[in-house]
Amino acid sequence: MTQKYADLTPIMYPKSVAIIGATDNTGKIGNIIMRNYIDVGFSGKIFPININSQGSILGFKAYKSVLDVKQNIDLAVIAIPAQAVPAALEECGKAHVKGVVVISAGFAEVGNVDLEKELERVAKKYALPVIGPNCLGVMDLRSRINTLFLPTFKLDKPKIGNISFVSQSGAVGSAVLDEMMHEGFGLARFISYGNAAVIDEVDVLNYLMHDKETKVIVFYIEGVKRGKEFVEVAKKATKIKPVVIIKGGRSDAGMQAAHSHTAALAGGYEAYDAVFRQFGFTAAKDLKDLLNYAKILSGQPLCTGNRVAILTNGGGMGVLATDALADNDLKQAQLTEASQATLRKTMPPIVNIRLPLDVGGDADDKRFGDALDVIEADPGVDALIVVALFQTPGADSRVAEKLIHHATGMKKPMVVICMGGNFTEMHKIMLESSGVPVYSSPSDAASSLAALISYSRYRQ
Amino acid sequence: MQLLDYMQAQKLLQDHGIRSVDSKYVTSADDAAKFASSDAIVLKVISEKALHKASHGLVALNLNSEEKVRSAYKALEIKARDLSPYKVLAQRMVGKGIEIIIGGKTDPQFGKLLLIGLGGTYVEIFKDFALRLCPIGKKDALAMLYQLKSRKMIAPDDKTEKMIVSLLENTSKLFSENKMEELDLNPIILHDGTYDAVDLRMLLQ
Repeated sequence: MTQKYADLTPIMYPKSVAIIGATDNTGKIGNIIMRNYIDVGFSGKIFPININSQGSILGFKAYKSVLDVKQNIDLAVIAIPAQAVPAALEECGKAHVKGVVVISAGFAEVGNVDLEKELERVAKKYALPVIGPNCLGVMDLRSRINTLFLPTFKLDKPKIGNISFVSQSGAVGSAVLDEMMHEGFGLARFISYGNAAVIDEVDVLNYLMHDKETKVIVFYIEGVKRGKEFVEVAKKATKIKPVVIIKGGRSDAGMQAAHSHTAALAGGYEAYDAVFRQFGFTAAKDLKDLLNYAKILSGQPLCTGNRVAILTNGGGMGVLATDALADNDLKQAQLTEASQATLRKTMPPIVNIRLPLDVGGDADDKRFGDALDVIEADPGVDALIVVALFQTPGADSRVAEKLIHHATGMKKPMVVICMGGNFTEMHKIMLESSGVPVYSSPSDAASSLAALISYSRYRQ
Repeated sequence: MQLLDYMQAQKLLQDHGIRSVDSKYVTSADDAAKFASSDAIVLKVISEKALHKASHGLVALNLNSEEKVRSAYKALEIKARDLSPYKVLAQRMVGKGIEIIIGGKTDPQFGKLLLIGLGGTYVEIFKDFALRLCPIGKKDALAMLYQLKSRKMIAPDDKTEKMIVSLLENTSKLFSENKMEELDLNPIILHDGTYDAVDLRMLLQ
């Protein structure tokens, strides 16, 4: 590639796709990928390529090589045995294919370093942007591309949104992707880049930072190939949009080679931790946090203040949420005299007018609404945590609607804590599909809010 | 990689405005006594064959009389017999205070990293330290300090905080601008409203 960072546009917006290794044999990867293209309703041209093809594959005219197509090919997806990949890539180069995804495994990850070098060499020769090898490839719901070899019925149906998820690993990628879909996250793009022989994390980060569809970047990495370039791009990216990141392989054996105290302390993961802190990443320690942070960052406004008001319809949950604030260096907000005076008028006498504000188990949508009106306008409140326990007599869908109305109409971030079974789950889905982040524990809610505040302060 | 001579390392610190304790190589018991004058001093054997001086019994602390200086020098000479070539370094004793470590390391992936942590024997036990990529600015230096659990021990007031921040900035400059692989200022003793690096190691690239 001539430019410093590869352009992924031809891979993300192809008008025509060649599937090398496409076949009628069900269960084969080339078959699944081809079917997925048909299933998602890809509107461009599909060219199945198979060296043994006779006439057609899955009803589409088949070719023995991309060179036989004689039409413009934007993207080639390669799913054939590793040994045959460099030759197929060479043909892609000759056929002026604009981008390639190599799904095939059997390269550096199993010790076939020379074969991967050969792939790299061919890619360079034709200045081909290549994702992979040994990856799932890309999924983009808007341009309707899906190079994943996962049968669609095994994954929850994805929803279009503003989160892009990038995973070095295909296994983490598919599991987290499925979980994201199950949890109702809106997906912009999914990119699994595997061995990063040509396109690496720096290229992907650079592409997504400029991508208008992406509001939050979620990254799983095991390492970076170009540390200095990674930092250079990250500095810019985190000033534009949040990058939530998790690094696999935090333990390290490099300690033994250390010469000094400093070297012993600053081993493998610590360097990544330093880079994440210094350049505005939102670092997660486990996959649960990764999704928790992505959820709040994708839907809530930035907020640099840390005075949090808790509104609850259950006393105990309010207490636990207050504890969670302290655990995450957040402050309990104080209501102004004026706010207190208004609340004394609108709340029934059983409600103690102070934060956390416990509006009682009989609180209905009106009471939630009256309390929220005052709290969200109070200048001493930077962010809100609302505990909505749907087991209580007063709480129903009207409460959920009220919460949505307030959360989507105000400039302060708001998160909701709901915990429980099916009735609660139904309301959780209502809230989340309107962009209100819901957490099932006070500590998840508070740590996610803290992540949002920390990122907002970096952006200041 | 090559270990920079102690006195040259100290000169580099000075050039970057970083304080270190008054030190001098001594070649005899007379020489050591003369350096001490009437102050308490420390004697250390420096040899590439013994990287951890204290654990080899190669450090004599708090030598507060001429008699102690002379006998310590002689004792160290005997202990160091197998460590030739070696040098004996005399340093003035520094007042008591919190010990911190500031260091640098070259990461194969990202480049030069700067570290600050609670020092002395606590380094290995609490592993309370913060790291950043060089070069760092004031904001980074402050963030490093605030990342430490021991921040209030190390910098209990604004004046000390400012002092540490500028010390970190200066060390970052020193480490970034020289062909240095590793750097260890350990310990740096915070005492009497100031600080002194008491032991230094600089590994050149």
